[in-house]
Amino acid sequence: MNESMQALIIGLSALVAMFLLIWPKGGILGLFKRITRDKKRELIEDSLKYIYNCEYNKNCLCVDELKNNLSISSDKVKNLLHSLEETDLIKTENSKYSLTSEGRSYALRIIRIHRLLERHFADQTSYKDTEWHDKAENAEHSVSFEEANRLAAKMGNPIFDPHGDPIPNEKGQIPLIEGKSLKDISAGIIVKIIHIEDEPTNIYSQLVALGISPGMQITITEKSDKRIKFIANNDECVIAPAFAENITVAELNETEQDYTGFSLLADLKPGYLATVRSISKACRGQQRRRLLDFGIVPGTKIYSDLESLGGDPAAYIVRGTKVALRKKQAREIYISDIEKEDLNG
Amino acid sequence: MDIKNSKENILNTAEKLRWEVGEDFHDNVMETIYTDAARIADIVVIKDNKKAFHLDRFIDRLVTSKWTGFPIMFLLLALVFWLTVIGANYPSGLLANIFVDFLYPVIRQYAVSFGTPLWITGLLIDGGYLALAWVVSVMLPPMAIFFPMFTILEDFGYLPRVSFNMDSLYRKVGAHGKQALTMSMGFGCNAAGVIAARVIDSPREKLIAIITNNFSLCNGRWPTQILIATIFVGTLVPAEYSGLLSASAVIFVALLGIGLSLLVSLFLSRTMLKGEPSAFSLELPPYRPPKILQTLYTSLVDRTLFVLWRAMVFAFPAGMVIWLVSNINVGNNTVAEIFIDWADPFGLFIGLNGVILLAYIIAIPANEIVIPTILMLTIMVTGIHNVGEGSGVLFELSDVNETANILKAGGWTALTGINLMLFSLMHNPCSTTIYTIYKETKSLKWTLVSTILPIAMGLTVCFFIAQIWRLLE
Repeated sequence: MNESMQALIIGLSALVAMFLLIWPKGGILGLFKRITRDKKRELIEDSLKYIYNCEYNKNCLCVDELKNNLSISSDKVKNLLHSLEETDLIKTENSKYSLTSEGRSYALRIIRIHRLLERHFADQTSYKDTEWHDKAENAEHSVSFEEANRLAAKMGNPIFDPHGDPIPNEKGQIPLIEGKSLKDISAGIIVKIIHIEDEPTNIYSQLVALGISPGMQITITEKSDKRIKFIANNDECVIAPAFAENITVAELNETEQDYTGFSLLADLKPGYLATVRSISKACRGQQRRRLLDFGIVPGTKIYSDLESLGGDPAAYIVRGTKVALRKKQAREIYISDIEKEDLNG
Repeated sequence: MDIKNSKENILNTAEKLRWEVGEDFHDNVMETIYTDAARIADIVVIKDNKKAFHLDRFIDRLVTSKWTGFPIMFLLLALVFWLTVIGANYPSGLLANIFVDFLYPVIRQYAVSFGTPLWITGLLIDGGYLALAWVVSVMLPPMAIFFPMFTILEDFGYLPRVSFNMDSLYRKVGAHGKQALTMSMGFGCNAAGVIAARVIDSPREKLIAIITNNFSLCNGRWPTQILIATIFVGTLVPAEYSGLLSASAVIFVALLGIGLSLLVSLFLSRTMLKGEPSAFSLELPPYRPPKILQTLYTSLVDRTLFVLWRAMVFAFPAGMVIWLVSNINVGNNTVAEIFIDWADPFGLFIGLNGVILLAYIIAIPANEIVIPTILMLTIMVTGIHNVGEGSGVLFELSDVNETANILKAGGWTALTGINLMLFSLMHNPCSTTIYTIYKETKSLKWTLVSTILPIAMGLTVCFFIAQIWRLLE
């Protein structure tokens, strides 16, 4: 009896040890991976990226913010900037730091890799939107420029990352985004989200939690110093003006259809017929193609036929075919012209 | 004009236009193509299926309604299993009569009469042939009954509705509703279940379905469960309840398998398979009268014979290995005895024994031959003389009590029985299934995961049950 007790305790501790070893985040294996990374190169690359972004957004480089962004001490930041200068990646003029042309092209290479990776995680994997940035941040230092180019070719040379940032091309060319911060838009105008800043992560994840994504059309309904109310996907969202700064929008051009008045397929009750208007940009990759394969394209009539036992998924009739879609997907399809229809009548 | 310059100009303009055209144009082109195709189809295709459509929607209402949906599903699946179990008995017995009881001695005598050396008849006939005959006679009938019935339900259009109903459950563990089908198929045969995972077109969910299929108790394991439950669980209570208890024990193990497959799906989708591409789609085709002949043909040829052939390919060499380990002597003992001696302490420690461990290693081609192998090995190590056919020759006894006596002579207790039932549920898939997993996934990594994960779980569970059992004893 004593022996079994001992064995039991040893067995339990072995289980706990295994758990500690392989637990993805705090696990010992994960720790080992983190320790063995090339810290120095990563710091250089991350700081170049940061300085580049400051220049792109026409902000000045603030050493304190760089320190926070890289989460290292002030001494280390000084050393880092010093060594960047020595290697001719940055230069100082009037005690202001700016990238040399070499530094800029290095930064653009890293940014290209980062944004291509984000695009890849968004379109070709099932990671959630809040994970794309961190995943790319971890992988960008170990992916070579050539590998990234091959990835780009495979994805059809995308030009924007999933947050709406342009991806520099192979030569390092990148256009300036023309858009306004959501903060500067007055109420009543329909605008299109073209970019959601993915840093800092806590603000980004709150924005994602509202269900907004680049490509979505929104209308501000109420604006004050304390909060901004807007309609997105028929839902009312309320955010602080500070958050609105992280959303860049543009007005619709003449070829774009305004679909703020459309409903979502998920809200179509059984027994009702509607017309498909558009598939949200948030529906990507394989999933998007699948919907197109079923013939769910603008103009298609779609009939909500039945719900499964749990209510999700639900079955729709599209072009004479019965197709089951989960709620999550049905929320990404815009419809209009809803009418009751009795198919048996 | 300078050619080089104009070329560069064109390239630069193209580069600039790329940004101007924007990222939507792929989608726009695609949508236009689909819209055009739909427009043309609307003009030239004449539809007239109003009547069939009514019936269709009526059946759909029936099988997905809150009150009738689940009862219909359980009744249909229970009927399929019941018919399989009842219906397979007779043809199985017949095949065993022909291949084992009749042909085996005939072939053996024929070979001996030619003066064939004993080791050749042993290796090829006692080893290879007998294992092959065993696998065919136990495996073929249930599969030949189960698969056609399943295929008829599929052909009729009912199975997609099962996926539709079950999807909300499977969605919660990161899997696809169609996994309900591959799982049910796994109750017939895991290799067939793995092949059936082809219907899942989303890479992540397909892998989950393949890796967890092993937790469906396959045809080859049901007899083991029933036999061991009857001998070791049924006898824990007075005789009048023993049937009920042993049946519940078997059902409990099967349900535990379903629970584990959901749990492991959840685990996989959160850890190892996190990030694998995933997309959901499920078509609910119209109901139609099943094409019986075509169904029989496809299910027999594509599923039954296909799987059976793979099993046979593995069974023959495995049979030879079984014969060899029980007949090659190193010193005074056979290889099997040496291994059993060596593995016994560990086996007993986790509530099994060396014989069981060896049996699960050498009977890898099919779960059907695990019990015959265990019996043969037990006889060998205990030195019982009046039963069995000799070392390396598989056999089974028609009398449960006799089987019980042999196992008890081998040192089996209720703990051994219970742990064997659990280990039978949670151990590596048979070699046929492992090979099929490799063929389907084309990945050594996922093949190893599907092999090692269940056996690690099985050993862990057996270990803890054994310790707790001894603590309470």
